[in-house]
Amino acid sequence: MIRTHLLRWIFVIAFFVSVLLALSVGPSFISIFAMSETDKIILLYLRLPRVLSAFFVGGGLALAGAIFQGLFRNPIADSYLLGVSSGASLGAAAAIVFRLASPLASFAAVSFFAFIGALAALALVFYFGHSNDGFSIFRLLLAGLGVGLFLSSLVAVLMLAAGEELKALIFFFLGGFSSSSWDTAWISLACIPLAVLAACYFAAELNVLLLGDETAESSGVRTRRLQLIYAVVAALLTSISVSVAGLIGFVGLIVPHMIRLRAGADHRTLFPLAFFVGGLFLVLCDTAARTLIAPAELPVGIVTSLVGVPIFLYLIRKENSSYGL
Amino acid sequence: METPNAIEAANVSFGYDGDLTLKNVSFNAGQGEMIALIGPNGSGKTTLLKLLLALLQPSCGTIALFNLPLSSYAPKERAKQIAYVSQQPALSFPLTAFELVALGRYPYASRLGLSANDKTTIEEALERTHAKHLSARHFSTLSGGEQQKILIARALAQSAKVVLLDEPTLHLDLRYQLQILAALKGLCTQKRTTVIIVLHDINLVSMFADKALLLRASKLCAFGPVKEVVTEENIKDLLAVDIKAMADPETGVRYFVPRVPS
Repeated sequence: MIRTHLLRWIFVIAFFVSVLLALSVGPSFISIFAMSETDKIILLYLRLPRVLSAFFVGGGLALAGAIFQGLFRNPIADSYLLGVSSGASLGAAAAIVFRLASPLASFAAVSFFAFIGALAALALVFYFGHSNDGFSIFRLLLAGLGVGLFLSSLVAVLMLAAGEELKALIFFFLGGFSSSSWDTAWISLACIPLAVLAACYFAAELNVLLLGDETAESSGVRTRRLQLIYAVVAALLTSISVSVAGLIGFVGLIVPHMIRLRAGADHRTLFPLAFFVGGLFLVLCDTAARTLIAPAELPVGIVTSLVGVPIFLYLIRKENSSYGL
Repeated sequence: METPNAIEAANVSFGYDGDLTLKNVSFNAGQGEMIALIGPNGSGKTTLLKLLLALLQPSCGTIALFNLPLSSYAPKERAKQIAYVSQQPALSFPLTAFELVALGRYPYASRLGLSANDKTTIEEALERTHAKHLSARHFSTLSGGEQQKILIARALAQSAKVVLLDEPTLHLDLRYQLQILAALKGLCTQKRTTVIIVLHDINLVSMFADKALLLRASKLCAFGPVKEVVTEENIKDLLAVDIKAMADPETGVRYFVPRVPS
């Protein structure tokens, strides 16, 4: 009990320290206790939207991973492996190339098409992963890999055909938060908290689903409805993240994994923790990305992988027994 | 007033034309009865359980649960009446035994967490299956037999008046098999719970069940009190094996000894 309490306080303190750090460092160091007028503008219009975007995207990716893992009862499911990120990329890329929307002028439209793409990818995964006797998790993951690869190839084809939009596309897929502003931050601020609430609201039912579809159904859970709700929520989280920050790997895979090892698999605690820790992780990674080789920036996806992959490999080595894989 | 039957199945079939996995099955299950489903592999036992749980819909025939059509129950209301222990599901996430059993309280759950009543019910379910000492352990670290006890405790925590089990004694050693069946029998006699259980071991059927339902090739071949239907002749026919029945001189329970096929 004391350890959990201590951990909670460490988290809260870590949160404030990280946010403070992320707001302070950069091309010019800003002390929030003694700000000039310029400092205030930099803080309010550049760093604050950037830190908020990183927090919500990181939290969204981690939560999407946690949802997919619970939904498919498999600790390696996440938006990338299931092809949902590729679907979101394709949707966003199509929107940009066909000028359905330009990424800066109507950012919401790009997010919207990314969402459509993510939903379409999930529908394909469910269609091909489905068999007469229900869903086989193994088959779903294989279908996800296939769908993901196919959609990524389509994105590549789009890039070849992009012509003068190519620059916008490349800029979009490089991702990261260097172009974050309130124009792009507001959509994650608006959509992601809603998705978090929905995810937490149905968490107790998702717990029952861990026992298998039939047992869950016999316990009074409407399993099809639940799967549909979570598929839409996770697709929303993934598409917002992709349209704000491009492709950022490993947050959705390792963060829920780490939390499960410490705090157990109960989704009622896992979901809020995954969101919070995922957000914190990406805020720190983004801070590192823009300060380590300043004035240049590292792509934040490289930082998450450089930090995340070793942690991930260490964890699977250490904890392979408790997953029954 | 007569107490209603827990389950009344009338002329239930399942499957498509020419490919029925269950043909015209009728039977009643009274309250407090333990009914064993026996038959060779692929005879339709699991299909019958799934029909009784409304996991599958009969292609014809009707099923009533406490005098009301099964299909008229809302999922949570149905779950308060009938619980299910499937063949071992895979669980790939770290839940403790207590957390897993607590999932059985889902139909009653408020979003505020477990009530005192929920906790008592969970404790009682763990006690019934002799698994109380396991409650803080992680499910995945338990042995096969211990896991089965926890899964059964989860179904009992659902406080249902009917419990269906699909081969719960599979992979268990003899001591655990007897413990689990004795626990289920206790539920029938003390709480008037109806237990419907798929069993492959004819001796366990003979020792514990009140009635037996014999299924072969998707058809019901016999249903009635164990003493009447679990006979040498019926079992020979049902399982297509040479088997000899012998009565325990002390208890009168009939045991079955298979013979080496010649």
